[in-house]
Amino acid sequence: MAYMIQATELGKTVTTSAGDLTILKDINLRVVKGESLAITGASGSGKSTLLGLLAGLDVPSAGGVELAEIALNSLDEEGRAKVRADHVGFVFQSFQLLPGLTALENVMLPLELRGDRDAHDQASQYLQRVGLGERLSHYPPQLSGGEQQRVAIARAFACKPDILFADEPTGNLDSTTGHTINDLLFELNAEMGTTLVLITHEERLANRCARQVQLAAGELMISGSAAVE
Amino acid sequence: MLAWHLLWRNWRSGEIKLLAVALALAVTVVSAIALFTDRLEGTLLEQSNSLLGADRLVKSNQAHKKEWEVQAERDDVSYSRVAHFSSMIFAGDEMHLAAVKAVANNYPLRGYIDVSTTPFATDPALIERAQGVPAPGEIWVDSRLLPLLHIELGESLQVGEHELVATKVVVSEPDGSGPFSMMGARIIMNWEDLAKTRVIQPGSRVEYQWLLAGSSSDMNAFMSWLEPQLSDHDEVMDIENAQRRLQGTLQTGRRFLVLAAIMGVLLAGVAIALAARQFAERHVNQVALLKSLGTSSQRIRQLYLVQLLLLATVASLLGLAVGAGLQALIAQIVHNIYQVTMAKATITPFILSLLSGPLALVGFALPSLWFLPKVPPIKVLRQELSVSKGAVGWQIAMASLVLVILVGVFGRDLTLGVTVLAALAVVGVLTGGMAFGLLAVGKKAGAQAGSRWRLAWASIQRRRGASVLQVVVFATAIMLLLTLTIVRTSLIEEWQVKVPENAPNHFLINVAPSEVDDFKQLLADDELKVEPLFPMVRGRLTHIDGEPKPEDTLNREASLTWTGELSEDNEVVAGQWWDTWQRSQLPGVSVEHEVAERLGIELGSQLTFSIGGLIAQAEVASFRSLQWESLRPNFYFIFEPGALDDYAPMYMTSVYLPPEKKQFINTLLTRYPTIVVLELDRIINQIRDIVAQVSDGVGLVLLMVLLGGCLVLIAAVTGSIDARKQEAGLLRALGAPRRLLVGSIWIEFALLGFCAGFIAVVASEALLLGLQVYVFRVPVQPHYFYWLATPIAGALFVSSLGAISCRHSVTTPPATVLREAL
Repeated sequence: MAYMIQATELGKTVTTSAGDLTILKDINLRVVKGESLAITGASGSGKSTLLGLLAGLDVPSAGGVELAEIALNSLDEEGRAKVRADHVGFVFQSFQLLPGLTALENVMLPLELRGDRDAHDQASQYLQRVGLGERLSHYPPQLSGGEQQRVAIARAFACKPDILFADEPTGNLDSTTGHTINDLLFELNAEMGTTLVLITHEERLANRCARQVQLAAGELMISGSAAVE
Repeated sequence: MLAWHLLWRNWRSGEIKLLAVALALAVTVVSAIALFTDRLEGTLLEQSNSLLGADRLVKSNQAHKKEWEVQAERDDVSYSRVAHFSSMIFAGDEMHLAAVKAVANNYPLRGYIDVSTTPFATDPALIERAQGVPAPGEIWVDSRLLPLLHIELGESLQVGEHELVATKVVVSEPDGSGPFSMMGARIIMNWEDLAKTRVIQPGSRVEYQWLLAGSSSDMNAFMSWLEPQLSDHDEVMDIENAQRRLQGTLQTGRRFLVLAAIMGVLLAGVAIALAARQFAERHVNQVALLKSLGTSSQRIRQLYLVQLLLLATVASLLGLAVGAGLQALIAQIVHNIYQVTMAKATITPFILSLLSGPLALVGFALPSLWFLPKVPPIKVLRQELSVSKGAVGWQIAMASLVLVILVGVFGRDLTLGVTVLAALAVVGVLTGGMAFGLLAVGKKAGAQAGSRWRLAWASIQRRRGASVLQVVVFATAIMLLLTLTIVRTSLIEEWQVKVPENAPNHFLINVAPSEVDDFKQLLADDELKVEPLFPMVRGRLTHIDGEPKPEDTLNREASLTWTGELSEDNEVVAGQWWDTWQRSQLPGVSVEHEVAERLGIELGSQLTFSIGGLIAQAEVASFRSLQWESLRPNFYFIFEPGALDDYAPMYMTSVYLPPEKKQFINTLLTRYPTIVVLELDRIINQIRDIVAQVSDGVGLVLLMVLLGGCLVLIAAVTGSIDARKQEAGLLRALGAPRRLLVGSIWIEFALLGFCAGFIAVVASEALLLGLQVYVFRVPVQPHYFYWLATPIAGALFVSSLGAISCRHSVTTPPATVLREAL
């Protein structure tokens, strides 16, 4: 069976002044195409580190990751960047919008980097889709938190990724706004058939995914036991 | 195209503006100085050429060939002609052997003839610039000819067989010291009258001069054609062998401009580096995001490089336009004040200026930005991750290299560039150490001070690294400005010394030995300051150690003198003066060291002179350096006393005649008609004009360097603005009054400015010591005023600038500040 994401014996250890610190250990994880997976866990459990490794943003100390059937271990940073460009989209907790660019320009940026000639039209369409058709020329500081996250979602889906990684997408928002943003995220995900990997500490949000796994002290658990898939 | 979009967006967001302004300023400094120096050199060359009356001239005892004119016209070189000869001039029963100059109608090609209708006029209102040359039938004369011949203007005098009317007196003229001017009063007549005088006969002693002028490329092309056509009788003269008095002054002025350029570019460079550093810091997250979106490091490098090159191009064009405008403005001012039209700039400074933008970017900005493409993509998830920003040493090395290239290429003075850079490197290290020490001392004092002071010290300590950097940057900027100001002042003072107010302004030549005592008495009666009288014979150096002397140097008679006393402006640089010299068989001679070098003369060489057909030999006892600027009688060859006793000498001296005593010449010449007077006051005024021009140029350069200094301060302060905003917002949210925050900001920057000012004055004295001793060779002196003024001025200036730069962080509502900082 073809997996969009396959992590094998994944581990991450960093060197600190106090000695080696293991953040992740023996993670095995498979995600099939179109599946939605929630990774939950307490603060400091290694959720964001795992997301970084799965998305090819960081390199593991042990084990390996296959993304869209491409072994990331065999690639250098340039190769991993190409895999991300071809297959991956992101939504971040802190939105990661460029403050000097308008909402439209923020969404256009990844399309322009890919060389899309109709970046302007596509970006406009996606911003219309997320309900910001009237705020194209607004800068991030002029937008509310919820609006900024909508721009980030539009940017993520504008490149039509195979896999969307969302890191605490509502972590900086109030619950009402967060709920609306989640609805939008899942709606677009369903529309485009994207594989979704969602990092959250909110149980309610995690439950909207087809599958949930939990991280505790760097190890993957399912319903309280070590996950073996 | 994408790079253009990104550049425009970065510009709009303000992130690249400081970098662009700093870059434009660097190019402005380079272009203004390069263009100004180029034009100044061109102007000075033209002015110097006006002493020749041309850019080049060919002198010969035969008239020039007609075919030369054809080629000159083909090469766009204009020409004119002059004939110099001496002739007895008659007016009634009176006569005088005068130096006659017959000139063509388009004479001179460079410079002007100044004339007057009042003999011995010095008042500018009585002097006019001649439009053309004497009309046929007219003659312009040296003022002193009138008393000699007992005539007045409007009366006739006889030159050869032709009668001419003296209509004007000549105040100054190009090549006023022509080959026959030593022999008598000068007169100028029209070439058309020359044949009518019938003075020039076969065998007459005449010097023909063919004057040439044109652009340097046309002139070079023509000269390369002409030179093979010249015979042994023809000699090409250009300014190098005509004008050496100004060279020392000009060289010093040029070095100062180059020094100012180094400092200007260095300051702009520091501003560029700081702006680039801030730009890079603000773009770390952007690069991490771009990488998470799948952009490769190579693509990111390319995107930023293209953006920077575009920025450099635009900033270079803008900087060049501003620089060109500024120097045009100053040239206009110079024109209005001194009536001097500056020469047009050549293409070279334009090319150099345009190249300086990208070069400055590569040297100052690129090292700060180099790490950007290496930002790991995981930074997008882990904000706390620190990013390596590259080695500072490498950044400094790159900046130094570019600075050396810039100085070497456009300043043409690599030694000066390297010396200043090395000194600055030492000063930089010392400054850093001192800044660190001063801030550590202040820490204790701050802890015991009031709330504003405590807050200010806390802010300095919290950003200790940045604070030390800011102090170093402020100190460097102030130090450079201070050094430049002091060097400028002392150089101008030095020039004043070189051409003192009461410098001798007249040479009195041809005093017969029998007249010496009476002559001295006459000068003493008029209370005139007179230099010692030198005996003088005219002689030609023919052989060195038995070999004919090189043909390319000293192809004329030189004035030979003898004295036992060394003048105060002469210094023996090698060998021995008479009191310690061991004489062998031949008498001793002391030779001016530069001419000795050109002729290949060594200590102990045997020189053979031809003096009025007689042979004299001497052994070289010493080499002397002498100050041509002193305008006192100076000689290439000084013999030991008694060495030339067998040759009938005449005496010469120099004297200072104030304008109101100019009529003394009349009295002198009436009593001693054979004495020749050379009026140097015009040359002295010309030197003063040139010094004034250079000083104006220096003032402009200083202004731009000051601008660079301000930019550095702004760049250094804006680097900490984001963090300050956040802190101020937090403090205000906690209820701190605005005046507390404003007060603490003033105090913080005043403290930094004070420390910087103190360090700057110490470092500046150290730098000046080196410059004064090794580069400008002027006397070393401490500058007490600046020790007090600089720290206070530093505190005032930096605190004002800091308060202005930080005003938004305390005036914006706390909620907005905190939200923006998120």
